[in-house]
Amino acid sequence: MDVTSILDAQKAKQQNVTVEKETPLEIDAGHLMVSDLNPIDEESYNENLEDHLRALARDGTQALLAALFSLPTQKSADGPLAQLPARTYQLPRQKQLPKPKPPTKWERFAAAKGISHVKRDKKEWDEERQEWVNRWGKDGKNRRVEEQWLTEVKRNADTDHNPQLAARHERKERIAKNEKQHLANLARASGSSASGPSSRKAELEKSIATTRASTASMGKFDRKLDGEKKLRGVKRKFDPAERSVVDEQKSALKLIGSMDSDARKMRKAPRENEEGSVNARKAIRFASKGKGAASMAGGETRGKSSFAKGKKGGRR
Amino acid sequence: MLRVIKPKTARSKRALDAREPKEVEDPRTVIFVKGTHTGEVVNGVFKDLMALKRPHAVAFNKKNVIHPFDSATNSSTTSSSAAGSSTSIASLEFWAAKNDASMFVVGQTTKKRPNGMTFVRMFDGRVLDMIEVGVENYKAMADFKTPKSTPGNKPLLHFASELFDTHPRFIHLKSMLIDFFNGEEVDSISLIGLEHVISISLGPTPSTLNDATSMSLLPSTYSADSVQANPLAAVASASFIASSLPPTAATSLAMASASLPKVHIRAYTTKLLSSGVRVPRVELVPMGPALDLVLRRSQAPDADMLKLAMKRPKLKKTDVEKGLGKKRKNVEVDEMGDLRGRVHVGLQDLSKLKGRRMKGLQEERPGKKQRIEEDDGDDDMDDE
Repeated sequence: MDVTSILDAQKAKQQNVTVEKETPLEIDAGHLMVSDLNPIDEESYNENLEDHLRALARDGTQALLAALFSLPTQKSADGPLAQLPARTYQLPRQKQLPKPKPPTKWERFAAAKGISHVKRDKKEWDEERQEWVNRWGKDGKNRRVEEQWLTEVKRNADTDHNPQLAARHERKERIAKNEKQHLANLARASGSSASGPSSRKAELEKSIATTRASTASMGKFDRKLDGEKKLRGVKRKFDPAERSVVDEQKSALKLIGSMDSDARKMRKAPRENEEGSVNARKAIRFASKGKGAASMAGGETRGKSSFAKGKKGGRR
Repeated sequence: MLRVIKPKTARSKRALDAREPKEVEDPRTVIFVKGTHTGEVVNGVFKDLMALKRPHAVAFNKKNVIHPFDSATNSSTTSSSAAGSSTSIASLEFWAAKNDASMFVVGQTTKKRPNGMTFVRMFDGRVLDMIEVGVENYKAMADFKTPKSTPGNKPLLHFASELFDTHPRFIHLKSMLIDFFNGEEVDSISLIGLEHVISISLGPTPSTLNDATSMSLLPSTYSADSVQANPLAAVASASFIASSLPPTAATSLAMASASLPKVHIRAYTTKLLSSGVRVPRVELVPMGPALDLVLRRSQAPDADMLKLAMKRPKLKKTDVEKGLGKKRKNVEVDEMGDLRGRVHVGLQDLSKLKGRRMKGLQEERPGKKQRIEEDDGDDDMDDE
């Protein structure tokens, strides 16, 4: 048996699918990417661009496929799935990394006890009826007692007892409890600075203090109720009478500086005035005695000559 | 600028939660925006690129006045400028927030820059980086009378030229194009479903680039390994270096930008032929658009923003067991998949080791020996 010919044939076939280049091609299987770092061949490029590009791409793709086909595979319904390795080339993210949320009270308990999450389905098998029923939603099991037309009641039950209302009340309570726990989880996650009861107490005390001072005499002459704390005023602080000269100088200069500065000016933008000109608005106001520019336009002579002002001035 | 919407229905709440940041992100949604004048070429390119990018692509129908490279200096002359940045950037940020998109392609044709396209990438609602290219020699997908690949398939990417690893502008372009063409990030892929390849190659490297020693444009801490880890770091810092280069090097940089090689983008469908071995032989059939691009302006990413953008989530325990993460000395994962460590204890002098007391094994004390000698024939010994 001549095995060499078979081996040669096998080798030739293998040659068909391997790609030999000067610098081996870098393959990032995670991104399905192949980078060919060899310099571009000028002659082949100038001769026929499209063929050159196609040949380049074919070689690159062949190398990439060789790498992909050598990855471990998993059988699935759509054929073999190659397990891709981790990505080497890093791309910038679109959004910031998600902030890790603190675990909720239940999550902490479950982690401590080792309880794993079991995903429940919407439908449940009901042995009695021998069918799949909804746990919640339309014709849900949770509303069964409210929606059924007949409910058995105990012999010693109250005459007012309405089992439908009782069941509905229970369900609403469960919802409210869940809502309360959810809000408490959110408050804990958002990391509110003060704990619940103490922050509420501080708020109440603050509002009481403001109310007490909101009278006509600012709370000074009001009678105090039993159990109310004395109102604390703000204590004024005065600098000591003897200060160092340097300190005094500094504070004086600071005061002058703030007086001079534009920090607390109400009218920010400077007026569009020519240098040294008068304030036209004020001048008109003074000259016309408040009447305005229109009254000044030739109205003086008229006023002085014909219409004499006075108690009995004017036309008779 | 966008008002914060409080969800009132379960469906809107789900939609809002889908926009939250995730550890492994969805592919970037691209918005194709047309400027005031586009032209036939740009319109055709947009149609083809959108076909390649479906379903993660949105096309704006109307023309918009948008100039992404409008710098902030223009707006500072007006006294009332609410936004410090130019209004084009503000528009981009608004559109990104509204459409939950993180990438833009802005098309504009002017006399000075014919058939121009600007790729803009966003991070955290702000512009990260931009690259402007000009399209020459465009052949539409419809002109190739060949079968096309299924839309939504993940493409194979092929980059050919050593400049993609050395020249900062091409490193930047490579990162941008991978982000553009990338599909979903998957852990496993069906080998039959590898239908198309997008090949991006450059023209031959002109000799001027080689003489100008493109390596000098990169920081000295640059190394081949660091490229893969953070390729854009080289680009971001190179822009700082360019501003501080000595005059001779700066002029050579300017010269080099004029003679950058062209970028050729081609898309092919793969035909797998059976060879004798497990790996099939691949033949390519040209499918999609054929574009030749010329690099124009670009804006490198800000170093701080880039650092935030490149942050990775902490490695989970399962990954560390698989062998990822930094190699720690004296710790390794054995065949069973357990993490094993070695504890090194120094040399021990076993003679000085203190074990349990056993009277018979104890050494006789010297004092005791003397007493034995003195008391001859005395059998009763006191206890120690």
